[in-house]
Amino acid sequence: MEVVILILVFIVLFSIGVPIAFSIGAASICAFLFAVDFMPAVTTVAQRMAGGLNSFALLAIPLFILSGQLMAQGGIARRLIDLSKAFIGMFPGGLAFVNIISCMLFGSISGSAVASTSAVGGFMIPEMKRDGFDGDFSAALTATASSTGLVIPPSNILIIYAVASGGVSIAALFVAGYLPGLLMGLALMIVAAGYARKHNMPRGARVPLKEAARRAMAAVPSLLLVVIVIGGILGGVFTATEAGGIAVVYSLILAVVVYREVKPSELVDVLIKSAETTAIVMFLIGTSIAMSWLLAYENVPAEMASLLLDVTDNPLVLFLLINLFLLAIGIFMDMTPAVLIFTPIFLPVAVELGMSPLHFGIMLILNLTIGLCTPPVGSILFVSCAVAKTSIGNIVRPMVPMYVALIMALLLVTYVPEISESLPRYFGLID
Amino acid sequence: MNVMSMLDKILRLSLALLMTAMVGSVVWQVLSRYLFVVPAAWTEELARFLLIWIGMLGSAYAYRQGSHLGIDLLANKFEPPGKQRLHSIVHIVCLLFATGVLVVGGGSLVSMTWELKQYSAAMALPIAYVYSVIPASGVLISLYAADAIVNGSKGQES
Repeated sequence: MEVVILILVFIVLFSIGVPIAFSIGAASICAFLFAVDFMPAVTTVAQRMAGGLNSFALLAIPLFILSGQLMAQGGIARRLIDLSKAFIGMFPGGLAFVNIISCMLFGSISGSAVASTSAVGGFMIPEMKRDGFDGDFSAALTATASSTGLVIPPSNILIIYAVASGGVSIAALFVAGYLPGLLMGLALMIVAAGYARKHNMPRGARVPLKEAARRAMAAVPSLLLVVIVIGGILGGVFTATEAGGIAVVYSLILAVVVYREVKPSELVDVLIKSAETTAIVMFLIGTSIAMSWLLAYENVPAEMASLLLDVTDNPLVLFLLINLFLLAIGIFMDMTPAVLIFTPIFLPVAVELGMSPLHFGIMLILNLTIGLCTPPVGSILFVSCAVAKTSIGNIVRPMVPMYVALIMALLLVTYVPEISESLPRYFGLID
Repeated sequence: MNVMSMLDKILRLSLALLMTAMVGSVVWQVLSRYLFVVPAAWTEELARFLLIWIGMLGSAYAYRQGSHLGIDLLANKFEPPGKQRLHSIVHIVCLLFATGVLVVGGGSLVSMTWELKQYSAAMALPIAYVYSVIPASGVLISLYAADAIVNGSKGQES
């Protein structure tokens, strides 16, 4: 009964436009009021929210957000684009490949798909158009390629999953993200290669070796951020949270002192913007933790598991069903709330069927990145359409082959655990 | 300058300061481990408490900016008068949640931890101080929601 109330209230509030975090909180409190009195109900929810935020692992999130904001500068995107051009621009339709690689690199450094879309897309979409690419195709490619960066570490959504799953190691998740992220990029490159063949796209200019080396030198300091963070975590020098702190210091020096992309006077705004972004995530985590506590109290995950296992106990079929459900959710819901809401519900089922929590997390996040690129909801789409001066309706068509390619990558990641697990195992992060 | 815009300014400044302090304490934690071998015990605790403050106060700020994640598909289907009414309903829901859970529930949590004399492990700080930000941000969100209902707002954007 309480669960039915929870779901109904949530759906109604969410659809009339109540922010998701408030919808979750209000639905939880409505359901909880059926079981206990007013005062204990509100006190417990407030306490669960506060307790949920009181975590050292979560601290990594504001730090990576801040470092990402400092790094999400046009000049840094420009350097990465120049580097990618030197290495991959000479193929037919080279600019499309340059766009994909730059989005992946920039997404990893900035941690934000929207930032990649506007920074990389801001340069690449007009340039692709000049080179004869269709504007709608360019916008679609930028949007999908930017979402790929979310799987490539350091990535906040992986930290959020680590918290939601109740204890998967952040280091293992970070390392696990690399191959699936590359696979997604590769899938998009296959689509781009097909487009280039079909439309007989020109080759980009070959960059002389000396110039290529110069460009590499210019881009190295930004890429070094990732090396320090991931290297430091893997080498056991610091925890993920401490790595976030180091990342902030490094980006501060790089963006303000070395590259001079951020003026010291802009720092206060960067801090406030980061605090705001952090708070949006934290408030969601707070109310979601209160809700998942309520769900556990009502024994929902276990019942959900037995319900799903009644439908079928064939893992292949069940993983497919879970993926289809999540793809549908991703159309309407942003990634962070989706991870927070559905991890506690589906993770026990996946584990029951022999999927490791690490593997499930990568599958879940890869799945939801596809949802980020589907209309009607999705800030990446709005940004890329704004940059390309087109409408969402126009970019859906060129996006269809990209969806197909990404779903192929998703299926591979779902059914081949080694793609997610081999690197963390190699580094001794999992058994 | 009216009260609301002064409040916004104070909130912005507090967020910038809290964020700086949080980065500082995490960085100090790493440094202190290399400088003094034994890391300072208070840095981790302080950073965690600052995160709770940033999360709650920042939520109020994000509410003011209309930047909490949500969908406005339904609102966009309405003509302006209906749209405004729907936005008001949305703000009323948030106001009820902020008042009920954050102000009343959070307030009772603060008085409970105060009466039980709960102190933090490393800094011996009363937990009630840390949690006091919950009712405080509840008051701010309620205020911002009421302001949006009375004076109208651009509404929640996704």
